[in-house]
Amino acid sequence: MIQAQQLSKTFGHVQAVNSVSLQAPDGRITALLGANGAGKTTSLRMIYGLIRPESGQVRIDGVDPHHDREQSLHTLGVLPDARGLYKNLTARENIEYFGRLHGMAESDVQRRCDLLIEQLGMQSFAHRRTEGFSQGQRVKVALARTLVHDPQNIILDEPTNGLDVMATRSVRDFLRQEKARGKCILFSSHVMQEVSAICDHIVVIHNGRICATGSESELLAQTGQKNLEDAFVHLISHNGDNNARGNNP
Amino acid sequence: MKSPFSVIFWKEVKENLRDKRTITSALVMGPLMGPVLFAVLFSFMIQQQKSQSEAPLELPVIGAENAKSFIKYARQRGARIIPGPSDPEQAIRAKEHKLVLRIDDDYARQFRSGQPARIQLYYDASDKDSATPVKRTRVLIERYGHQIGAARLQLRGVSPMLNQPAFIENHDLSTPQSRAAIILALLPYVLMIGIFTGGMYLAIDTTAGEKERQSLEPLLLNPVRRSTILAGKLAATVAFSLMAVAITILTFKIAFHFIPFEELGMALKLDGRVMGLIFLLLMPVALLAGAVQTIIAAFSRNFREAQTYLSILLLLPMLPSIAVMVMPVKETPWMIATPILGQNLLINQLVKGEDITTVNLLLATGGTALVGFGLAWIAVKLYNRESMLFSS
Repeated sequence: MIQAQQLSKTFGHVQAVNSVSLQAPDGRITALLGANGAGKTTSLRMIYGLIRPESGQVRIDGVDPHHDREQSLHTLGVLPDARGLYKNLTARENIEYFGRLHGMAESDVQRRCDLLIEQLGMQSFAHRRTEGFSQGQRVKVALARTLVHDPQNIILDEPTNGLDVMATRSVRDFLRQEKARGKCILFSSHVMQEVSAICDHIVVIHNGRICATGSESELLAQTGQKNLEDAFVHLISHNGDNNARGNNP
Repeated sequence: MKSPFSVIFWKEVKENLRDKRTITSALVMGPLMGPVLFAVLFSFMIQQQKSQSEAPLELPVIGAENAKSFIKYARQRGARIIPGPSDPEQAIRAKEHKLVLRIDDDYARQFRSGQPARIQLYYDASDKDSATPVKRTRVLIERYGHQIGAARLQLRGVSPMLNQPAFIENHDLSTPQSRAAIILALLPYVLMIGIFTGGMYLAIDTTAGEKERQSLEPLLLNPVRRSTILAGKLAATVAFSLMAVAITILTFKIAFHFIPFEELGMALKLDGRVMGLIFLLLMPVALLAGAVQTIIAAFSRNFREAQTYLSILLLLPMLPSIAVMVMPVKETPWMIATPILGQNLLINQLVKGEDITTVNLLLATGGTALVGFGLAWIAVKLYNRESMLFSS
């Protein structure tokens, strides 16, 4: 379970994130929905402990990632916005590297690699060096290495960005399986269709502030709209653009 | 289960051994080019000196018929007399001859009447190739004059010794090895270049490279301390530097077989013990180089920028080499303890066949190691900064 309370962060004079609170329970997929530059990446980075919030606190299964960083990372798998691979290593070696860094026993590393390669349909390219991989292949490798230690909590920053239909579907199917295994999944997106397709709970962020939370039907009811896109537009246009802010760092 | 440090170290080594660019520049070009260039330069210099001092002295003479006894003397001393050009000044300027002797008609008359007889020597002192033949010609004429003078005095019943109130007895204390000192001062620089190029790509890859290919953030999301990550990477950088310097030393060993040092009367020493001591002296330099390169690369925005800065850094180890060449002063303990300068001085002594003291060995390795660890600590601190993540 991931809990964040009253997170705030400024870069220079720009208030990137302002009092963001959210909760992502186990066995559910929670979406952080917002336009580009709404503060999604900065919020997630504070939640997974990469950058320090100016105020507020985070708990990952009760552990503060800013205090017990290494302990929190054992139960957390993060697919950040930056997902570069090592091009002179094969796809499998990229995944194994992260497994070993997590301190896993070699037999567990191999078992998880086999499983993830099968689940994500990577058999045809797992043994190849990652130089020249397609976007879809790269995201699958990045996702597999994020989850090699089978973490209870999964944070994904725009996981299907730049993926084609088939790759998107296989990633979605995979996330549904993980949810069925009782995992806590928190991901950010700006694509309504995708959020609508797999999310149980939606947190709408705009100008660094949370402006609505709830299931898709709750948001539709709250705004009186027929689809999520209209509901989103309604929500952000009724939450003033009056506080100045800029893009992600 | 392996420790995170060794997981990172071996991953970096494996990944970089697969990278053609790293291998070519770090382990092939850097370590081979230096010694080969050194050997070529040295052999060329030896060849030049040899050909000038051993080849028969070629003497273009105008008016040889005016000084038959001198010409005979010169021929006996091995000089090859050839007819001189009609215009000596023009011939020297056109580089047709390095020098020209001109003996006028009145030479014979002056010689017979016991007056100093004039021999004109044309040459261009700014042409360095003329220095040796001009010197040999001078010596030839002076000795001839001495011999004739002595004979004339004896004819008059005067001891020639009276004409020599003082004489010089030379005591040249240079050993065969010490004569090669100036060129040898380059040798430590070539070794340093090996160290700096050996670790360069890894140092960049660790910092600017990880940022540029967007793999730093995922890496830092593993439950491993950042200081451990950087330590593993720095260890891999140092390992590549040491591999490069080991190859450089071995290449020097092979190159030395092809340099005819003995023809200059020199004997350079590069046996197993000397090679081992050189490697030992250079070990802390590899740590220092890796740390400095990592720090500089950490401030660079991308791979290319880091590469530019680190190429400029290659000039840094050249400074002590130049210092040693231009001011051959007696070394002091602080000079020995100064990183790179100390290694420079001691490696020169070792190769020249001198022994180095244990105190100096400890001073040089200890001083450099201290600075190296200090810089490594700064590199770790930089790596821990939040801003390290955001390249632009």
